[in-house]
Amino acid sequence: MKKISRRSFVPSGVLGSILMPGIIDQLMASDNQTSSLHHPAKAKSVIFLFMSGGVSHVDSFDPKPKLISDHGKKVTFEHPETKNRPGYENIYLKKPDWKFSPRGKSGIEVSDLFPNVGNQIDEIALIRSMHTSHSNHYNATLGMHTGSFNFSRPSIGSWVSYGLGNMNKNLPSFLVIAPQMPYAGTQVWSSDFLPGEFQGTRVAPGNEPITNLIPRATSKEKQIQDLSALDAFNKIHLGTRMSDDILKARIKSFKTAFGMQSEMPSALDLSSESKNTLDLYGLSPGQKDGFGWQCLVARRLVERGVRFVELIHTGSSANWDSHGNMADHGVLAKQVDLPIAGLLKDLKMRGLMDDVLVVWTTEFGRTPFNNTADNKGREHHNWAFSSWLAGAGVKPGITFGKTDEYGIKPAENPVHIHDFHATILHLMGIDHERLTYRHAGRDYRLTDVHGRVVSDILS
Amino acid sequence: MFNLNHLKAISMAVLVFIPWLSSPFVQLTLAQTDADLFESKIRPIFVEKCQKCHGPDKQKAGLRLDHKAGWQNPGDRGAIIVPGKPDESLLLKVISYNDPLLKMPPDKKLSDQEINAIRLWVNQGAVDPRVLNDKKVGSISLDQAKAHWSFKPVQNNFDLKGLNSKPIDFFISQKLKEINLPLSPKADKRTLIRRLYYDITGLPPSYSQVINFLNDNSPNATEKVIDQLFSSSNFGENAGRRWLDLVRFADTAGENSDHPLPYAYKYRDYVIKSFNNNKPYDQFVQEQIAGDIYAAKNPTPSNSDQIIATGFLAIARRFGHEIEKEMHLTHEDAIDTLGKSLLGLTLGCARCHDHKYDPISAKDYYALYGILDSTRFPFPGCEPKQQPKDLVSIETSNLADPSIVALQKKIEKQKAELAKILVEEGVFIQSFLASIKTPVLLGKGVLKDGSEQDIATTAIEGNLPISVTNGQMIQLSLFPQKNHGMDSTKVEFVIQEVDGKRQLWNVKTDLIDVFLQSNPAKDSYGNLSVWAFFDCNNGLRLLPETLLDFQKNIGLNIWKNGDTPSVFVNASNNIINAWTKLPSRSFFMHPGQNGAVSLAWFSPIKGKISIQGNLKDVHPGGIDGVDWKLELFNANIQPSLNALTLLAEKKKSLNIELLKLQQSLPLPQLAYAVAEKPGKNIKLHLRGDPERLGEEVPRRWLEIFGSNDISNPSASGRKDLALWVTSPANPLTARVMVNRIWGHYFGKGIVKSSNDFGLRGEVPTHPELLDWLASEFIRSGWNIKHIHKLIVLSDAYQQSSTSSVIGLEKDTKNDFYWRMDKRRLKAEEIRDSLLFCAGDLDNTSGIKHPFPPEATWNFTQHNPFNANYDHNKRSVYLMVKRNSRHQFLGLFDGADPNTTTPLRQVTTVPTQALYFMNDPFFHLEAEKLATIAFAFREYEKIVNTLFQISLQRPPTESEKTIVLSLLNPKADKNLTVKDWASVARLLLASNEFVFLD
Repeated sequence: MKKISRRSFVPSGVLGSILMPGIIDQLMASDNQTSSLHHPAKAKSVIFLFMSGGVSHVDSFDPKPKLISDHGKKVTFEHPETKNRPGYENIYLKKPDWKFSPRGKSGIEVSDLFPNVGNQIDEIALIRSMHTSHSNHYNATLGMHTGSFNFSRPSIGSWVSYGLGNMNKNLPSFLVIAPQMPYAGTQVWSSDFLPGEFQGTRVAPGNEPITNLIPRATSKEKQIQDLSALDAFNKIHLGTRMSDDILKARIKSFKTAFGMQSEMPSALDLSSESKNTLDLYGLSPGQKDGFGWQCLVARRLVERGVRFVELIHTGSSANWDSHGNMADHGVLAKQVDLPIAGLLKDLKMRGLMDDVLVVWTTEFGRTPFNNTADNKGREHHNWAFSSWLAGAGVKPGITFGKTDEYGIKPAENPVHIHDFHATILHLMGIDHERLTYRHAGRDYRLTDVHGRVVSDILS
Repeated sequence: MFNLNHLKAISMAVLVFIPWLSSPFVQLTLAQTDADLFESKIRPIFVEKCQKCHGPDKQKAGLRLDHKAGWQNPGDRGAIIVPGKPDESLLLKVISYNDPLLKMPPDKKLSDQEINAIRLWVNQGAVDPRVLNDKKVGSISLDQAKAHWSFKPVQNNFDLKGLNSKPIDFFISQKLKEINLPLSPKADKRTLIRRLYYDITGLPPSYSQVINFLNDNSPNATEKVIDQLFSSSNFGENAGRRWLDLVRFADTAGENSDHPLPYAYKYRDYVIKSFNNNKPYDQFVQEQIAGDIYAAKNPTPSNSDQIIATGFLAIARRFGHEIEKEMHLTHEDAIDTLGKSLLGLTLGCARCHDHKYDPISAKDYYALYGILDSTRFPFPGCEPKQQPKDLVSIETSNLADPSIVALQKKIEKQKAELAKILVEEGVFIQSFLASIKTPVLLGKGVLKDGSEQDIATTAIEGNLPISVTNGQMIQLSLFPQKNHGMDSTKVEFVIQEVDGKRQLWNVKTDLIDVFLQSNPAKDSYGNLSVWAFFDCNNGLRLLPETLLDFQKNIGLNIWKNGDTPSVFVNASNNIINAWTKLPSRSFFMHPGQNGAVSLAWFSPIKGKISIQGNLKDVHPGGIDGVDWKLELFNANIQPSLNALTLLAEKKKSLNIELLKLQQSLPLPQLAYAVAEKPGKNIKLHLRGDPERLGEEVPRRWLEIFGSNDISNPSASGRKDLALWVTSPANPLTARVMVNRIWGHYFGKGIVKSSNDFGLRGEVPTHPELLDWLASEFIRSGWNIKHIHKLIVLSDAYQQSSTSSVIGLEKDTKNDFYWRMDKRRLKAEEIRDSLLFCAGDLDNTSGIKHPFPPEATWNFTQHNPFNANYDHNKRSVYLMVKRNSRHQFLGLFDGADPNTTTPLRQVTTVPTQALYFMNDPFFHLEAEKLATIAFAFREYEKIVNTLFQISLQRPPTESEKTIVLSLLNPKADKNLTVKDWASVARLLLASNEFVFLD
């Protein structure tokens, strides 16, 4: 298998040191990684944008004129969120709160909720027929990340890391930028039964984005001195024991950690970014939080060879779960719309769209109906929602799949989350049926016994 | 010397010389009947090498070798076996590749040992108990299943007479001969004592303990240390932690909001105590499956441990939002854990269909499921129902005390009285509801999360103000906005008479200061029953219960029914910080999970009124708010209300009396444990779907072990299950446990897949050793410490971990045990050692975690339980959450509390190195270690002390040079504790500290 090196475009933040030459020479080395597993990969990295709480498809990416004309019409069916629920004996169609219009050359309709992303629609393959198997946040969030709705299983980022390894040994292969905890907690990025090195490392905006990243030594020189002494001490220990990989690996891990101490802050340090770039993401100079910050950091991480970067917006509360008032969607969309569009533009300008797959999704959609037509909110809706992919290997400016006239159920080409996962793995050069791990007497897969690659959206 | 007296000789029918057990100095003999020979040697050859082409699926040359009549039936070339005459048997010619026409098996000749075994078998008359049996268990044939090594009986007829080595070493050495390697030399004493301390107790020795051992030249010096360590309570903590790994122990339930389990710690302590007391393993397992049943037979204050033991089942993970709806997943977790941890069988795989590889059918699964379904599991609480229930009371007082018996009789009487009133009330409510005419809607609205809204009244028939007559009811109802939550809402509500006396009814001024006096309540003009608070779920019911100064918040007074719905006031002049900020001098309403709460006003006048009000969500961030409705009921309802009030008063006084009586009972001690329910078989879930039911499956034991029925259909069957699992005839239980104990010391089992002894699991590297240990385990009365001790006393365990080129060449993975394997300390061992070296370890037993009081719980998937309670006790006593792992334990490969962990992984990742470089706790402990050493003042002494505490040895010269490169006393005369801390960090972060030779 071909080994690739991203070394050329990774600016090293680590300066050489006569005290610890051994540390430096291994800093930028990348090993145990492969560019593809089962077939040539289209994408080398993934940026996975996860909107927590459930984004309404009929207000954003799935225009339903009939929903407007039939607003207030009574509908009858058994829905998991309204069945046997007091006050929901009758349900009525409810029109979207945002206007849809054709965007870009492709003329795909996107609502005013996402005007900036709408302007990038020619880069995007939009799936309007997504569906999932659970209408609860916890379970659907777990499902979207692990393919399992109840049990802890490895996250998609862990599977990808396990399959492909890392391209930068100074950074973890799977990073999750999450200002708050998501539903289902750390299980969302857990490696579960896969080896621990494939678990997601959480990055949180703030003073210490990764636990224990900030050197506690009084100076860099002091830390290098301490680590050199430790290195020498461990080498004496190693010398009295025959060649032992696990001892060597631990000796090396200090070098990597030392590298990470500067590599990670340098990835997070936006001071070298031009004003034009900051503007793309809607960032003001010095800003260290917000979704724009998450997006720009994600670009910098994939540039450094991180395999899987997930951005969570926002967490298990104050999120897209607009039961009370859909107007909340407006506030939240304002936080993400410009940065996501900026990310797409920036990746394109830098030629990274050929290497990076951008995924935008949520755990489920929202009901195109409610118990009164003038109810301001919408409920959970796992029967249908929208997601999109952009970048490496993805056909740009297309839509795939359709929902029925009201956006209640997929009417054409339904895409289950297992299919969605199979497609992402496929773009990474992985056959989802062959990426398995033997655990407790069984071969496990991300897609369990399901999944079908959505080949119509592949370029 | 090892005691061999108990290895009893046995009368031998036939002596068989087993070549691979041969030894120049002792002849190991296995007593075998003809049938033994067939079972142990011949059947496996047929199954593995022949039956693919000569079995149920294919009968090449018309021959079947899967039952006796099959080979007796002449094939294309006549009978293939002539019993007693191997040389005349075609079979022998063919398998020896001596037949010119036929060589079998065609792809690879059998080994000489296999051919010799078949020759012997034919010579002895070809005894073959097999009859034609196409029977399948699960998806494999019974024949194939029975041929699998782990389903065969444990070999227990070893005769090790005259052995001049310890049995373990005998078996290990025999196998090592295959690769011509000896055991490594004994580890040096310092290495050995460190190994023994960590492996037995999980803690390092102190320097003086090491010195004492080094100076003890008596022949039993090692055994003395071993005995001392096994009698230390730290042994139970270490062995207990491994058991807790296995049974996926946690202090939270694992459902969507991860409710705490405040009593789970008792099970943890029970496990530790059991190992320390060396409870026989069969009893240990029986108690965990059916301890409550044993305890019920003979209730004494001292057998509460048996009830607590069933925590093994009770702590099964809960799933989803409403956990009762997902009990089939909880049962799967329990069956899966039981199968893997006790039997080494992946029983959980048979939930949706017959097991693909092992002889376990879906019916087997649902036979066990029925047993669990006839068991009451405790309810830990979940988002819609916050408070726990069905916990088991463990009486520590004397139940026979006559005063307590009398008290309990009174309580029962009172309860019966109360039940009568409830029936009466129910009847009344029905007629009350019937009397209410359809109300007139005066207004409604939706209050979204965190917002505020005026109560705007719509005109009735174009007329405002509203006309009312005496006894008519105006009702303001607040509904939960969605099924997942409800909210605290501040309510202002004023009714004013438009003309006439212009009387004013204000909920604040009328009610706040006299709030708990009555429901219904009077107004400020002295009219009785003007205000009332109702639970609107399923009719209208006056809120029955009161709470004064809730959670010691003075002025926070509540009317409620259960947890919710409720109405409450903050009567104080201060903001109260309870579950949310409650403004002073305010009135609040809180709907229930399933229905509304209402505030009603019964008109004491005939006239016209106007209504004004305001609603404010005072618990923002809970995502939702409430829906509201304002209605006028035209009928004169007040008479009914008065009758209802009377009933409510009666109920209240009965309740108060009952509460007093209950309070005078001794406080019940509770356990998170299971209890019996009426026994009931359940129907098979087709493809694992609890909504699609198949045929009823009787509760019984696994078919592969004989399908025994439960002894008493009206009981759950757990007691039978406990006995089946621990029967000495069960081929798995003892093997699985001794294999685990082996793994504790060698880092891998004799069967490496220690949770899977099935057909897809690994085969034992040392089958005879495994069986010898298992038979010794049963023979010793399931004596756990006995097996531990046998292992640590062996030369195999005590050998050096030094590697060798030739060893690595011949056996890279050390499957033959030619040396000891190095191991990294486990997460708990690292943390405990840091505390130990810093002089910070509180080496006392565990405590209850400081969870918030149950009454205050309001965990949701949006805001799950996620506290941390740190302390300086051993790590086994840390609180374990299912949905968010303990950061340190997660970082260093701690157990996953969501599933059984048979052996810890060891990963080496840079984030671990970051811990040793930058973690505040690590830095703090290093500084404390430096402080201890610094007390010795002199440079040399300080260095020595640091090494002695952390590595239990003095420094070497080259190590002193490294220390000198960090701290040079000549360059810096005033070295401080902080300076020395860098040396302490070096030692505590070193490979020598973290790895065990």
